[in-house]
Amino acid sequence: MTEPEAPLRVMVVDDHPLWRDAVERDLVAAGLDVVAVAADGREALARFPAARPEVVVLDLQIPAPDGVAVTAEIVRQDPDVRVLVLSASGEHADVLAAVKAGATGYLVKSASREELLSAVRRVAQGDPVFTAGLAGLVLGEFQRISDAPTTDPAEPSLTDRETEVLKMVAKGLSYRQIAERLVLSHRTVQNHVQNTLTKLQMHNRVELTRYAIERGLDAD
Amino acid sequence: MGTTSVRILSSAPIRSATLPRVSSWTSPAAVAVQDGLFRALAVLRVIVLVNAVALNVYRSDNFDHPVGGAACVGTMVLWTAFATWAYADPRRRTFLLLGADLAIALALLVVTPVVKGDGFHATVPGFWVMAALLAWAMQYRWVGGLLAGLLLATVDLSLRQEVRQSDYGNAFLLVIGGAIVGFMCQSLQQMATAREVAERDAAMAAERARLARAVHDGVLQVLALVQRRGRELGGDAAELGRLAGEQERELRRLIRAQEAVTTHAPDTVDLVVELSTLERSGTVTVSTPGVPVELPAATARELLAVARACLDNVRLHVGEDAPAWVLLQAFPDHVELSVRDDGPGIPAGRLEQAAADGRLGVAESIRGRVADLGGTAELVTGDFGTEWELVVPRRAALA
Repeated sequence: MTEPEAPLRVMVVDDHPLWRDAVERDLVAAGLDVVAVAADGREALARFPAARPEVVVLDLQIPAPDGVAVTAEIVRQDPDVRVLVLSASGEHADVLAAVKAGATGYLVKSASREELLSAVRRVAQGDPVFTAGLAGLVLGEFQRISDAPTTDPAEPSLTDRETEVLKMVAKGLSYRQIAERLVLSHRTVQNHVQNTLTKLQMHNRVELTRYAIERGLDAD
Repeated sequence: MGTTSVRILSSAPIRSATLPRVSSWTSPAAVAVQDGLFRALAVLRVIVLVNAVALNVYRSDNFDHPVGGAACVGTMVLWTAFATWAYADPRRRTFLLLGADLAIALALLVVTPVVKGDGFHATVPGFWVMAALLAWAMQYRWVGGLLAGLLLATVDLSLRQEVRQSDYGNAFLLVIGGAIVGFMCQSLQQMATAREVAERDAAMAAERARLARAVHDGVLQVLALVQRRGRELGGDAAELGRLAGEQERELRRLIRAQEAVTTHAPDTVDLVVELSTLERSGTVTVSTPGVPVELPAATARELLAVARACLDNVRLHVGEDAPAWVLLQAFPDHVELSVRDDGPGIPAGRLEQAAADGRLGVAESIRGRVADLGGTAELVTGDFGTEWELVVPRRAALA
């Protein structure tokens, strides 16, 4: 893992001061630059434009606007920002919504310091940080989409290979193990995983657009 | 901490302890139903009035005392206008108003022989008395409808020199109709009240769930922090951290189970919730779809038992702390459950040896149990580990 010359710019959003401090301390100790912290969604959105972080470490359960809304808004403002979601409750619906809104990584809060640091660095490089649990959720979501009675052929769906890779991630195989089993390069496996996220976010936009059209919100 | 959360989660005891019984006489929903009925009655009053006025004008040469007849019709017009106003507000629907309403209807019946002569056929008010009868049925339910009906019918019949078949029929309809309409009003009010109570319960449950989420999130945050710091500090703190981790898992499982409570049918079970009980921090990871996966309770329990047997096998053959992964995928007609470990795999020939020795190995037992559910179990093993793939139809085999 090559360290960039300038330290990684990170923003930490969490309403629990104990947690915010702990995460900030860990990141700073590891040589990262914590450019901003925020205790709720409003603060996060207010401080984000000036702070210009590369990675936002975001708790999903924060005072309004919640983590999902914050993710959607900052990704809209800066499509290059990476959002790593931390969740204490690991609520399926919330995590899935955040990933659909543009988050590229997810970690439960009980993850160790090493796991957190590694996740922040990987997310910064554009690698999706997939836990087996998140892969299971995404698999389930694509299954739900393909089971839906009105499947639009233009809608993104997973290729067989992507499904295969995602299923292996959900079964806890590391990218290295998957590469070995499928005789692929590590990078190719990463790309497949990345594609599944991109398609899920695309599907979300398609769904939102369709919803807007149905409700007549596009008439302007 | 666990018990506290459970208290917050359960709704039934709280409800019966704090909610007074809601009466279908006074509940807002019952009053709203009654308001609607009285609005309809106001329209009906005008219709029966127009009918009565028209008939009396048409048969005006039947009156012995035309002036008295005109006074009667005038009374009906005035009273209808007043009653329409008076009944519009529930606070004005007193016994006095309903009593006066019925008294005027009765009085108009009583004066009929005076203004029309003893041999009259049609009373002056005619069907107009229906308005008072229905008001009684709406306000005092079947008892009120029956009483008003009996009074009107008795007075009507007692005034006639000769009771014809049709007179008796009309009187009978008054009595029966009053009671039936009263009973229906009562049922409507009771149903509206029951629905209001149910809606309020649902709103309260939603609010309670929202509060519980906030509480749980706070507790989970602290548990996760203790767990994380404990691990870093080591020693006794590590043990504290481990305990915090256990509680975190347990609480998360309870939250999921609570969320599933409201959604599934009584004889089905959400396999996602069941499987989440298998999760163990650092060793067993359970991945599932984000939506409930409903299965018949017996099937879900059996699948859970099989998954547990697979995991027990991992602990036995790979190690107490060996990592294992459980993945559930749900399809419209079947579910796929896989249990995987990173161990050395099952040595070639061991399963066959067990079978040859006449021992029913764990593998055979798992296959048998899944077959009983109408599904298939496949075992893949090698130096990469061992993996069970269980495919089970969502509707259990009826056998």
